[in-house]
Amino acid sequence: MRVSFRGRLFAAFLIVSLIPLVISSALLLQVFHYRMTATSEREAQEYLDHALSAMDAAAEGFVRVRDALRENATLRAALTGGAVSSTRVYNELFRATEDLRGYANFEIYDADGLFRWSTQSLPRIASLPTGWGALNAAAEGDGETIPFLPCEEGGNGPLLRGAAAICDSHDEIIGYLVIQMYDAHFRALYDGRYGAQNDLLLLSPYWHGVYATEAGLADTLAPQLRERLMSGATLNVADELFLYTVARQESTGFYLVLRQPEVLTQNTMRVLYTVTAFSALICVLISILMSFTYSQQISEPIRRLEGAFSRVELGDLDARVDNAGAESDELSRLGTQFNGMVEALSRNQEALLENQRALDETQIRMLQAQLNPHFLGNTLDTMKWISKINKVPQVATMSADLADILRFGISPDELVPLRREAEILERYIEIQRIRLSDGFTFTLDLPAELEDCVVPKMILQPLAENAILHGLEGVENGAVAVTAESDGKTLRIRVADNGRGFPDGMTGAYRERNETLARGHLGLYNVDMILRKYYGEGSGLYLENPKAGGAVVTAVLPLRREEAEEEC
Amino acid sequence: MHRRSLICILLVLCLVLSGCAVRTEPPNDYAPDEAHRLTVYTSHKEEVYRPIVREFEARTGIWVTVVTGGTNELLERIASEADAPRADVMFGGGVESLEAYRDRFVPYTCAEAAHLQHQFRAADDIWTPFSALPVVLIYNRKLVGDGDLTSWSDLFDETYRGRIAFSDPSISGSSFTGLVTLLAAVGGDGEETLRRFADALRDRQLASSGAVLSSVAEGSDLVGITLEETARQRIASGDDIDLVYPADGTSCVPDGSALVKGCAHEENAKRFLDFTAGADVQRLLTNSFYRRSVRDDVPGAADIPALDEFALVDYDVPEASARRDALLMTWAFLLGGEETGT
Repeated sequence: MRVSFRGRLFAAFLIVSLIPLVISSALLLQVFHYRMTATSEREAQEYLDHALSAMDAAAEGFVRVRDALRENATLRAALTGGAVSSTRVYNELFRATEDLRGYANFEIYDADGLFRWSTQSLPRIASLPTGWGALNAAAEGDGETIPFLPCEEGGNGPLLRGAAAICDSHDEIIGYLVIQMYDAHFRALYDGRYGAQNDLLLLSPYWHGVYATEAGLADTLAPQLRERLMSGATLNVADELFLYTVARQESTGFYLVLRQPEVLTQNTMRVLYTVTAFSALICVLISILMSFTYSQQISEPIRRLEGAFSRVELGDLDARVDNAGAESDELSRLGTQFNGMVEALSRNQEALLENQRALDETQIRMLQAQLNPHFLGNTLDTMKWISKINKVPQVATMSADLADILRFGISPDELVPLRREAEILERYIEIQRIRLSDGFTFTLDLPAELEDCVVPKMILQPLAENAILHGLEGVENGAVAVTAESDGKTLRIRVADNGRGFPDGMTGAYRERNETLARGHLGLYNVDMILRKYYGEGSGLYLENPKAGGAVVTAVLPLRREEAEEEC
Repeated sequence: MHRRSLICILLVLCLVLSGCAVRTEPPNDYAPDEAHRLTVYTSHKEEVYRPIVREFEARTGIWVTVVTGGTNELLERIASEADAPRADVMFGGGVESLEAYRDRFVPYTCAEAAHLQHQFRAADDIWTPFSALPVVLIYNRKLVGDGDLTSWSDLFDETYRGRIAFSDPSISGSSFTGLVTLLAAVGGDGEETLRRFADALRDRQLASSGAVLSSVAEGSDLVGITLEETARQRIASGDDIDLVYPADGTSCVPDGSALVKGCAHEENAKRFLDFTAGADVQRLLTNSFYRRSVRDDVPGAADIPALDEFALVDYDVPEASARRDALLMTWAFLLGGEETGT
């Protein structure tokens, strides 16, 4: 699947903006949540410690009451049927329970579980079963701890009942001290010890609800918590509005559960999520806008560049990228470079055309020169034979040489072995010797290994002609020497004379490019032109005046062998 | 490559986000170990099972998980959980129902067996009796004269025709017991008796056993068939009804408890059965729940006649249980047949 440039840009912007946003939101939430939870956990522990210490104090007080009443002679006498007035018993009972009556009712039941005395004005329970519940636990117990059991009466009855057996001197049970805690007692016990927002739940050792600071909570919440405990789940489940912390009261085995509102309520979370979602939405919008703008900024110049390219492709070298109004960035520089490139291309094209035109003209001239050459050749042959018959050897030789030169000149091969070129040069020299009556010496030094290297046709003759016609003019004992040498890559052919040398300013690389100005040295001009057209810059003629006198023309061209030429 | 990095980023995000929901909490070390657990399926009302279960916990240190429901519903569950029983004890339900599912239970002779009255025990102790529940007739004290209703045969009287509260025996176990008792008490041809009784009901049954009491107390029906325990409870709460032990005999089928086969906490379950049959619980039954103890050493409440003071029919629990489906089919046929006739 190919995603558009704009799409990828959008995705990149989205990732770059959304990921930090989401990560920071999540981290913020985490840190916030962690701090709040840590605080609430510490708070919970403090509240539970307070409540537990209150319970501890009450439990210790109950043990003191139990100890005082168990050994009380008046009470024992009253329970065993002695003549003791109720007032005396009540006095003992109230004295023993002095500062604890706010936390429980203290009642005395006889050995059969029948009610006898109470610190409360209206006892609601006339008898308690001795083989059941608290009295049973007290009778069966070790006598040290006071067993407390949740009450089953319901309604406005007591919530918790503890009992201790009162025995006579023979360890026979003669009655029971019953400590009953009602709703009001628990309220007094826990008052101000659990925090305004929180609730406290008292659970029996088997996690049945006994009392809760919020009415009804003991019946509804306790079974839920017990189920979680029994199923091995944690008490705090996700999505609940409250946190629970548990502590155990050691002397009775009861549990206190503090219920705190969840530190981050669903509402708070919803607000936080909404804010995050809103920010994310803004990010998305900005990403869309940015990706649109930037892709426009990039794709527009690219589109212009692409248009210019396709115009160039169709051959329109006048195509240019319009950089006006664009910002000076990499893309506009690319446009400028493209323009420069097309301009260079167009200049090259023009130069190429110019060269082509020059070549065409040369070719036209050559065609003109070939005008009826066979007629000339045949005429020369005829002249050779006539002169032989008429015993004019010079004319015969000249005619034969001229015919050879002519045929060589009009042959279709443009490149010829150096050997052939040298033969034609010798024909030409032969003609000139006759013309100039042996007025000069000619030497040709052609190394055998260079004989078969190929050179453009008719380059030696013009050089030799130049040396003979211009160099040796008015010189006694003129000499022309043609040598060839090579360094393996370049072929150098030197044509030296001992004449008056080149005029000042002409030495060095042959520089004349204008044909009309080169009228006097058209041969040099042509050869130089041919060499450069064939082999490019670096090839051509070099002129010099050696110190020993005379002039030297060196034709420089790449060394090519016959077979290599055939490969081209 | 591009896609993989994207997936990596998404994964990291998921981890960061999911961190929000994770709470670190120490493992719960307040929960009891397996040796101190017991799961009880009970069809008893909460006021019955709750004090018993709580006292059991306090005395043994065993944590009891209670699952409540109707008798048949719970027995079905026990049957469906046969491969991995959740329940350790089925507590409650007429012994006929327990008998019907006897292959889901194992016999257990409880520690108190010597004190259980013989007529309430199963031959092989497949269940342990809990309380004796005589079937009684009830009547509205305002609408029916004292002494007008004395026996099962009186139900066929034209006075009561169509005004008898009787719950569907296929739903209510006590109603089924009542129907079997009626057949035994009236005697003669069983099918004929059923046909007459269906006619006396005018093909009308109530949906639940609780509705029998309400219907009679409100005066919608004149008389009804229910259990002594339920009747006494309603009388005590002030309803205008009274109960009659039929002169032509009634039954006294106990409800009971049974040990589930292959249960996880068998030892604790046995202790629970011992406890329910023990003197303390049995005394609680008679003192607080208007029930009759199945023990021979726990005297009944003073205001009700002893078992030997009223006529009892011969009631064979295993046989009644075996005949149950056939009887219910006949009953449905008779009741439905009359219905289409009217």
